[in-house]
Amino acid sequence: MSYQIISIAGLIYIIAMPIYIIYLLTKKEKIGYLGTGALCIGVLIHLFGFIQRFREMYEINHSFIRSIPITNLYESLVFFVLCLVLGYLIVEWKYGKKGFGVIVSLIAGIAIGLTELLGVTKEVQPLVPALKSNWLLAHVTLSFIAYAAFAISFVAGLFHVLMTSENRKSFKYILSTTILAFMFFLILSVIIDMATVENQKSIKIFHFTLGNSSLFVAILSWSALLAFIFVFWRWGEVIVRILKEFKIDANLLEEITYKGIAFGFPLFTIGGLVFGAIWADQAWGRYWGWDPKETWSLITWFVYAFYLHAKFIRGWSGSKTSVIAVVGFLVTIFTYLGVNLFLSGLHSYGSM
Amino acid sequence: MAKWKLENLNEKIWNFFASVDLAVALFIVISLAAAIGTVIPQQLEPEATIRFFSKFFSMDTSLKIHEIVSLLDLNNVYHSWWFTFLLFMFALNLVVCSIDRLPNLLKSYRTLPQALSMKVLESMPLKKQLILSDISHLKEKLSEILKRKGFSVNVFDTPEGIQLQAKKWSKTRLAVYLTHFSIIVILTGALLGTFFGFRGHMNILEGTALDFIISDEGKTIPLDFQILCEKFEVEYYENSAVPKAFRSYLKILQKDKPVMINGKDTVILEVNEPFSYGGLTFYQASYGFQPTEHAEFRFTFLHEQDRKIPIRVKFEEKVRIPNSAVLFSVIDFSPALGIDEEGRLFNMTTDMINPAVLVEFDNQGKKTQQWILKKIPQTWDTPYGKLRFDELWGAQFTGLQVRKDPGVPFIYFGSILLCVGLFVSLFLRPINYFVIIDKNKVTFYSPTLKGKVTIEKQLEEIIKKLKGEGK
Ligand code: HEM
Repeated sequence: MSYQIISIAGLIYIIAMPIYIIYLLTKKEKIGYLGTGALCIGVLIHLFGFIQRFREMYEINHSFIRSIPITNLYESLVFFVLCLVLGYLIVEWKYGKKGFGVIVSLIAGIAIGLTELLGVTKEVQPLVPALKSNWLLAHVTLSFIAYAAFAISFVAGLFHVLMTSENRKSFKYILSTTILAFMFFLILSVIIDMATVENQKSIKIFHFTLGNSSLFVAILSWSALLAFIFVFWRWGEVIVRILKEFKIDANLLEEITYKGIAFGFPLFTIGGLVFGAIWADQAWGRYWGWDPKETWSLITWFVYAFYLHAKFIRGWSGSKTSVIAVVGFLVTIFTYLGVNLFLSGLHSYGSM
Repeated sequence: MAKWKLENLNEKIWNFFASVDLAVALFIVISLAAAIGTVIPQQLEPEATIRFFSKFFSMDTSLKIHEIVSLLDLNNVYHSWWFTFLLFMFALNLVVCSIDRLPNLLKSYRTLPQALSMKVLESMPLKKQLILSDISHLKEKLSEILKRKGFSVNVFDTPEGIQLQAKKWSKTRLAVYLTHFSIIVILTGALLGTFFGFRGHMNILEGTALDFIISDEGKTIPLDFQILCEKFEVEYYENSAVPKAFRSYLKILQKDKPVMINGKDTVILEVNEPFSYGGLTFYQASYGFQPTEHAEFRFTFLHEQDRKIPIRVKFEEKVRIPNSAVLFSVIDFSPALGIDEEGRLFNMTTDMINPAVLVEFDNQGKKTQQWILKKIPQTWDTPYGKLRFDELWGAQFTGLQVRKDPGVPFIYFGSILLCVGLFVSLFLRPINYFVIIDKNKVTFYSPTLKGKVTIEKQLEEIIKKLKGEGK
């Protein structure tokens, strides 16, 4: 089955993370190649799973275009991860820097883990009539490529914010270290959640950690989260020092942050907003309806438009704008997952 | 004095609307307002809104919150006066900002290039200096390298040395204005749609015609033609209740005569494939089950020797089976007959997933009953021959969404401009280099803030070439 193959790819992404960490700590070139190699193998397996999925869908739909597997939340998360890792490998090759591999494999691992924990269906599902549209296909594909570009800009932006913050009390420093700490906590929690699952159908994120039914474990988990945050807050400079040792400086980080958005913004505009509007126009007879998903896409768009314009404001230097890039990706995640989880709307597409 | 003050004030207002600061502030404020609208339920009855708040607060507080919410139109954000006002400010900001800046940009293309002062050059974020040993024909070599890379080059003699200006894609800065203009076009389209368009729906029962629309506000809008739904059908995925496709076979009637559309008198309307007639656009939106008097059960009697005889009956109407004395009638119907774990029959939904009829045969007083299922051929065999159940016609209605929106061409046109503008302005950035050649000392400057690392790389390439050919 395709999703088992994709889970293996996810596992390899998770394994790539500690390899990258060891590389950063030991500075051994060979280990760096091992990390990159792991991501490459992961991508190949992932592609294989993607093609397998395509075949499974083709058996139901008998149509080439209708069988491209990006038709529900599971498939779109998987496609997002594929774009993210591929995009990262291109950045790594272009700039010759491997430092971000840690966070990219972390995000890839979390995303694949979420497909297990959010209770999304992984079965191949037949398409309801409203989803049979080439506009929808273009809409979803381009949106997720853009999301992946935003994710890369988020990673670079996060390091940029961390590197340029003045001291431990500054907002920028607290924000970036907290987010980093939370991401590491999240991946651990996801791994533990998946390892301790008893009933395949009723898994939930944080079911074993923050939301454990035993008060003791729950309190322990919350303390662990706080400890993570404290550790990252206390020793954040170490990360900066390591990055600098790898010749990753503020200029490079700022540029990758900007490039990610400059690449993602037009794609998101055409794919996310314009094609989405055309599809809605054809399917429902309205191009815009202030449905929560649409509204949050617009908000995401505005945040990144804010980023592009912030540079023209007096006194807004590099790292202040990178904060917007970081916030922008958090808003993107909310548009993508949060709206489905917390708000309701017409987008049956994303329903779980 | 008073005049001076007035001019000063005018200028202040102008600058306020021309500033990017206002744009950025509006990005935030509009985003927050839009976000509120996704949290507080929109356009509901007061009771429903209060019920929503009472999930989180006590009843008293909920009532008070509801008062504030309805005072500020927070339960109808996107159509409230203040949200419209924000969008208007946004548009005004864009227009004023463009009028403020575009002429300068255009002028800069028209004026002849001039040598820049050292002060301007030194303030640029990128600077790279190198000393060369071979200084013959430096100017010509560098110009040649830059020109081969697609730059246009201007050379000046200055007190500090020879100044070389290289430019590429400088016209692409205009694309930003195209982007901004496209947003105005889109907003104009939205405005036209709000004032001169409407949306509504019509539910047409299979076999009947309608000549009016119910608008979203609940008003009846008459049409000067009729729409007849001849047939409506839903296809389901095999062994599943998931609809695969649904479509209506429609006829447009003018004075009871069908109108030809694209050379055909029947329009097949499907999801995602709307059609337009008389300034209106029709969308296949939904469907439903609504049994009425005129509904007709359609059978085919499969005689031996491959003869097929169609039979149409109303509910409980008695008809003779061909070439026999047996009467039969439909006495029950189920749109989705299912069998539960204990083998009992039950009806799953009102969708026609698995239509079935209970027929009663009357053979000169001897009565028998039998379920005939459309999708299961084994059930077509009856004691009196093979009777295939084809469909229940006239018991479903097709739900059409209807829209008139003169703004749509603006939206599409604006969207194209938006995409073109964005791609050009973000993918084809202008690149500028300024070079001072002072004997054997060559200094490169670049004003770029975005993509400094890439520009540096490119510069290194140029320098390598310069050195390589200099040796
Ligand atoms: C959502 C709406 C908007 C979009 C999508 C948008 C898009 C853009 C883009 C892509 C750029 C180029 C940025 C870069 O070079 O990296 C830009 C520049 C700019 N925008 Fe906007 N913009 C919007 C609204 C506004 C508004 C309301 C103003 C009002 C003042 C504004 C003023 C400017 C200015 C002054 C520039 C710089 C132009 C230059 O380089 O000469 N924009 N805009």
